[in-house]
Amino acid sequence: MLEIQKLTKKYGKNLAVDQVSFVVPDGKVGILLGPNGAGKSTIIKSIAGLLRYEGGVGIQKMPARSLEAKRIFGYVPEIPAMFDALNVREHIEYIRRAYDSGITNEEIDVLLKRFELDDKQNKLGNELSKGMMQKVSICCALAVKPKVLMLDEPMVGLDPAAIKELKEVVLELKEQGVTILISTHMLEMVKDLWDVMFIMEKGKIVGEFTREQAQDEDIEELFFKITGGGEA
Amino acid sequence: MKGLIYLYQRTILNRIKKALKKPMTYVALIFILLYVVMIFWSFNMMIKESNLATPENLVTVLACIVLLILPSNIIGYSKRRGLLFRPSEVHFVFQAPVSPKMILMFAGVKSFFMNILLGIAIFIFGIYWFHAGIVQMLVYFLFFVVFESILEASIIIFCYGNERLHEKFFKGLTVVMYAFMAVVVGIGVYLLLTREAEFAVIRDYLAMPVIQLIPIVGWNIAVAHLVFLGPDVINVIGTVLFLGSTLGMFVLARKMKCTGEYFEDAMKFAEEYQIRREKAKKGEMTNLRFGKKAKYKEASVEYKGNYAKAIYFRQMLEYKKNKTFIFGWNTLLCLGLGILIAVYGYVNDIEKVFGPWKVFVIPAVAAYTVFIFSGYATKWSKELENPYTYLIPDSPLKKVWYSTKIEHIRAIVDGILLTLPGAVVFGMGPVLTVLTVLLYICLMANRLYYGMLADAIIGKSLGNTGRTIVKMFLQGIAMIVAIVAAAVGYFIWGLDAGFFLMILVMGLLTFAGAAIASVSFMKMEVLD
Repeated sequence: MLEIQKLTKKYGKNLAVDQVSFVVPDGKVGILLGPNGAGKSTIIKSIAGLLRYEGGVGIQKMPARSLEAKRIFGYVPEIPAMFDALNVREHIEYIRRAYDSGITNEEIDVLLKRFELDDKQNKLGNELSKGMMQKVSICCALAVKPKVLMLDEPMVGLDPAAIKELKEVVLELKEQGVTILISTHMLEMVKDLWDVMFIMEKGKIVGEFTREQAQDEDIEELFFKITGGGEA
Repeated sequence: MKGLIYLYQRTILNRIKKALKKPMTYVALIFILLYVVMIFWSFNMMIKESNLATPENLVTVLACIVLLILPSNIIGYSKRRGLLFRPSEVHFVFQAPVSPKMILMFAGVKSFFMNILLGIAIFIFGIYWFHAGIVQMLVYFLFFVVFESILEASIIIFCYGNERLHEKFFKGLTVVMYAFMAVVVGIGVYLLLTREAEFAVIRDYLAMPVIQLIPIVGWNIAVAHLVFLGPDVINVIGTVLFLGSTLGMFVLARKMKCTGEYFEDAMKFAEEYQIRREKAKKGEMTNLRFGKKAKYKEASVEYKGNYAKAIYFRQMLEYKKNKTFIFGWNTLLCLGLGILIAVYGYVNDIEKVFGPWKVFVIPAVAAYTVFIFSGYATKWSKELENPYTYLIPDSPLKKVWYSTKIEHIRAIVDGILLTLPGAVVFGMGPVLTVLTVLLYICLMANRLYYGMLADAIIGKSLGNTGRTIVKMFLQGIAMIVAIVAAAVGYFIWGLDAGFFLMILVMGLLTFAGAAIASVSFMKMEVLD
């Protein structure tokens, strides 16, 4: 479970996120939507522990900054940054050791194959294209064997095959009871994945729906109904 | 922890493997070796000839090293900019289940490693040059490397990991450290100016009890006094305070609660540093201060032309928004040099020193400046990164011209500032003055286009240094050809003609360079 309680973040005098609270239950996929500047990235970075904030973030009922919580938390940032001198395989090996995640060599092989990185295992971080970096970033987050996974614009830069694979991975993890939060602008890409939707605007949650509540309503229609944009 | 060790191991091994495959590594190693030998040899000469090999002087040198390193390190840590985290570390290390204090130590390792290297160098040179005893050097090594590293690590944790003390405290600490450095350096300079400028003045100054009792930095100096000069009340007190502060800071750092709030500052610094690194790689000037975004004024421009001309007007609009318009550090440098030349001419009898060759003083200074300072990338070079530059339906030569036109305007102003003060004092006529300004413009254009030419020839294969070497080589050839032309003109027709011929040849060579370099504006691929 991922639990955000009254999260507030100020940059100087500018209030970027204002008392935001939401919960993504166990084994559910939450999507965080909102126009540019709504505060999504600030929330994501706060959950990842990269920003100072007021309020609380809980991962499986543990404070997000605790080592126990970090051990079961996977994160794919919006812009991946690789170690220049480490190759693809070594990135994953680092994760295995840093998290003591127990991922086996066979599982790593499967992961790399799924994201078409098996033939690029020896490429160094500074030799990878943006799309490949994104794939490595995803593989690293999965190598944690997380109980809670957070993905910030994960589809950006991915080729169609990788997008398809990522969607399948998300559904598989959901089946395994992993809690997932995806922040994205690509509504079309997540329409088959989500269970809970949070819509942000001007630093606040302005809409929250479960799939049951939304019934058959289209994700785009829901989004634009709340944010008021999108008219032709 | 296992992850961080693995990260260091693989990074070091992979970097070594990669470096060993590059021929440039071996060239660089030879240069470094020669540099070290040269430094060693020159210091050896200096120490032996000036009879500096005394324990007192060793203590002074060590005090200078401490003053040079420690305050600036503390300032860096208190501003939370002393440790360098890369974006990859923000991505993979900050997220890992590792204590935030351990992450600080992971970043601090580079600095501790430098302490060890410096400690080893001090150990060797202390024995070899200053004839200090091995036991003395071992004791100092223990203080300088072990205790000092413990103290520094504790200061890092105290400054970065402190989540209780307000930001204002650390701002205050920074101000105090700056003030301290200003006072110490200020008194040193004052003493050197008012007394004789000798090493002994610095030695006596740094041996003052008040210096040895300055918290942390002075106590560190007191240790050197105790180890090499024997105990006295002051250095014993200073050393005890040093050990006490190290122990106190260590306990404080261990007990302090740190959840990783510093990640935000470290992440911002990592992003800024990355941007600066990329800019520096391209040879662009960056703001001197981190964390400060450039401010722009409101401005407008009327586009008086289409196609490639639009590049010029867009650049003009950008420059109009700049606080200093098209001018920058180079303008100040030219003004400073111009004044220096004039003062030199005024103080000395220039006619007597140089005779008729006085007219070549300003061109020589200009040529030296243009040749030695490799130049900085300005807005024109960014045109090469902009796809629209290639898509604009116009000829490459026109694109080159309009992309660099403002650089020539800037060169006219800089050339006047560099030439005019000296020309007035030297009593140069208007024709020669104008020719000198023209020469400066030519030299600057030459540097610009030959830089572009170097890019077109070698691309990115040899990096920024390789590019600069190729550019300087081409510039050097052009200058030699121009000087030969000047000499021929002088011997056949006289001084003015020689001067004119030099500019003409330089101008033609520059134009040729620009024409060939315009290939860079044909397709982006050239630069890849």
